[in-house]
Amino acid sequence: MDISFKNVSYTYQPNTPFEHRAIHGLSFKISSGSFVAIVGHTGSGKSTLIQHLNGLLRPTIGQVTIGGFQLSSEKKLKQMKELRRRVGVVFQYPEHQLFEETVAKDIAFGPSNFGVDSEEISRRTLEAIKAVGLPEPLLERSPFDLSGGQMRRVAIAGVLAMNPEVLVLDEPTAGLDPRGQTEVMDMFYQLHQQKQLTTILVTHSMEDALHYADHVIILDHGTKYMEGKPEEVFVKKKELNKVQLDVPEVIQFLFKVEKKFGVRLTYHGQGLNEIANELHSIIKGADSIE
Amino acid sequence: MRESFIEFRNVSFRYGEEQPWVLKDVSFVIYPDEWVAIIGHNGSGKSTIAKLINGLLFPQEGEIFVDGVHVNQDSIWDVRKNVGMVFQNPDNQFVGTTVRDDVAFGLENRGIPRQEMIDRINTSLTAVAMNDYFLHEPHRLSGGQKQRVAIASILAISPKVVILDEATAMLDPKGKLEIMRTITEVQDKLDLALVTITHDLNEITLADRVIVMNEGQVWLEATPREVFTKKEELRRIGLDTPFISKLADELISIGLVFNNHPLSHEELLEELWTYHSKM
Ligand SMILES: Nc1ncnc2c1ncn2[C@@H]1O[C@H](COP(=O)(O)OP(=O)(O)OP(=O)(O)O)[C@@H](O)[C@H]1O
Ligand SMILES: Nc1ncnc2c1ncn2[C@@H]1O[C@H](COP(=O)(O)OP(=O)(O)OP(=O)(O)O)[C@@H](O)[C@H]1O
Ligand SMILES: [Mg+2]
Ligand SMILES: [Mg+2]
Repeated sequence: MDISFKNVSYTYQPNTPFEHRAIHGLSFKISSGSFVAIVGHTGSGKSTLIQHLNGLLRPTIGQVTIGGFQLSSEKKLKQMKELRRRVGVVFQYPEHQLFEETVAKDIAFGPSNFGVDSEEISRRTLEAIKAVGLPEPLLERSPFDLSGGQMRRVAIAGVLAMNPEVLVLDEPTAGLDPRGQTEVMDMFYQLHQQKQLTTILVTHSMEDALHYADHVIILDHGTKYMEGKPEEVFVKKKELNKVQLDVPEVIQFLFKVEKKFGVRLTYHGQGLNEIANELHSIIKGADSIE
Repeated sequence: MRESFIEFRNVSFRYGEEQPWVLKDVSFVIYPDEWVAIIGHNGSGKSTIAKLINGLLFPQEGEIFVDGVHVNQDSIWDVRKNVGMVFQNPDNQFVGTTVRDDVAFGLENRGIPRQEMIDRINTSLTAVAMNDYFLHEPHRLSGGQKQRVAIASILAISPKVVILDEATAMLDPKGKLEIMRTITEVQDKLDLALVTITHDLNEITLADRVIVMNEGQVWLEATPREVFTKKEELRRIGLDTPFISKLADELISIGLVFNNHPLSHEELLEELWTYHSKM
């Protein structure tokens, strides 16, 4: 589904002493089928932004369009349930979306709420629990008696079981073990491609943004600071440093190599083995000059 | 022999009689003024260890000592005075209705005089860059802001050991570095023990020592450098190696030899420079 934000502002607790404008004047477009990363410092408005995507928040000013759905301050959306069926959100803290007495019931909650039959639900549940790397017996346990990373995985499984068209992920790998982080991101990416989803990923990992996204939006204090292709955005070290961010680690390292050896290596998605070979020839190449 | 600050002696734990053991015969020591990272796959028992240290749980077998005191029902209040703990999700930890009250709570509990309390609240909230949020409700902050406030609350009470259970997982990269720097400065100044439970591979490289958990058992206790030479095994138990370590492994596989397995950008650049001048 195509998504657009037109001059969107959101204010928490308006007309109280605690009034706080979390995003303002935000405009951008996300075309159907793209994988977009949203990055920005702590408190820059990322979670506020994504809560508009399933209608949890309505803009105070401006307009949000998600496919055929429109959100604005003027009128409540009538087809809210339909919007939530099509937009699946993994929230920043997984505890916020777990509430049933067993993991199985928790995963089934979304689909059964949207009228999926029980046979199909069991099929999806098994598929989802496998996709997030959890053992089947865990289905019968209480989601509150799990470790942090296990809870995160259950929360993700619940969203997968809804078969959404738009996948919204708010730091989905926080709390996952290192191998799990890679596996889960790869799984999202595969799903994104196979089912032609529109995926929106909020992340503090510039590495993940570079690796998986085809478009990056950078927020700073509730406004859009920059957007573009990851390869273009993630070399602008000075600009990123100004807003608490940095270039991905691989690019940081290549900059340092340039400083030390006077040879520029550009990053174009090559693997570590290729970079190792390039480094090797720098060391040797310097030799042939001497 | 240095005196240990935290000691686990053959500790086994399960959450209920019918339930599987989640810690099995775990023994280790942590010394004062040391930074130890506890790592391990999801569900390997790390948070359970943290909860045992300050007596939120008690082991069915074995014994735990904190600052020489055996942790049990009678000693938990004394033990907790010395232990500052930040959990994975700070929401469960907030007690105050404002950020300021939340930090004040731990200080009031310890009977800190009013003027000093005000000073400590200011200092600790400034240290985590949350001094503009004194009157905000902790629950109405962003994920990373919540983590900053939770960290300020424990810095304010100057405990003898700080335990961070994935307490910086929601911070932006620069923020994470700044907060870790603040914490290690406090650690140096006050000689406290620091225990970080983390999945952040770069953060692990900064610790003095690493305890690697696997399925409820201590799998390895070693320096970060030793730990990250075990690429294959680490992956098998749900872990991984940091970027520089991976790149170094690629360089080794095409024939380079390093004196010391590099863990930081500077170390790898230095090794490459040595090569370059030798060639
Ligand atoms: N429920 C709320 N009530 C009032 N203010 C809020 C609320 N939630 C967030 N805010 C404020 O709005 C701003 C944006 O918060 P948001 O949660 O969108 O940030 P974020 O970019 O997701 O940050 P993080 O990376 O720390 O999760 C912050 O300054 C925050 O304090
Ligand atoms: N309250 C509980 N009741 C029953 N079992 C629990 C409870 N809390 C945790 N467990 C189980 O104990 C084991 C260890 O959990 P623990 O929270 O210590 O793991 P962890 O190493 O901190 O994992 P993570 O990296 O995911 O945070 C897990 O298998 C978990 O499912
Ligand atoms: Mg957020
Ligand atoms: Mg844990």
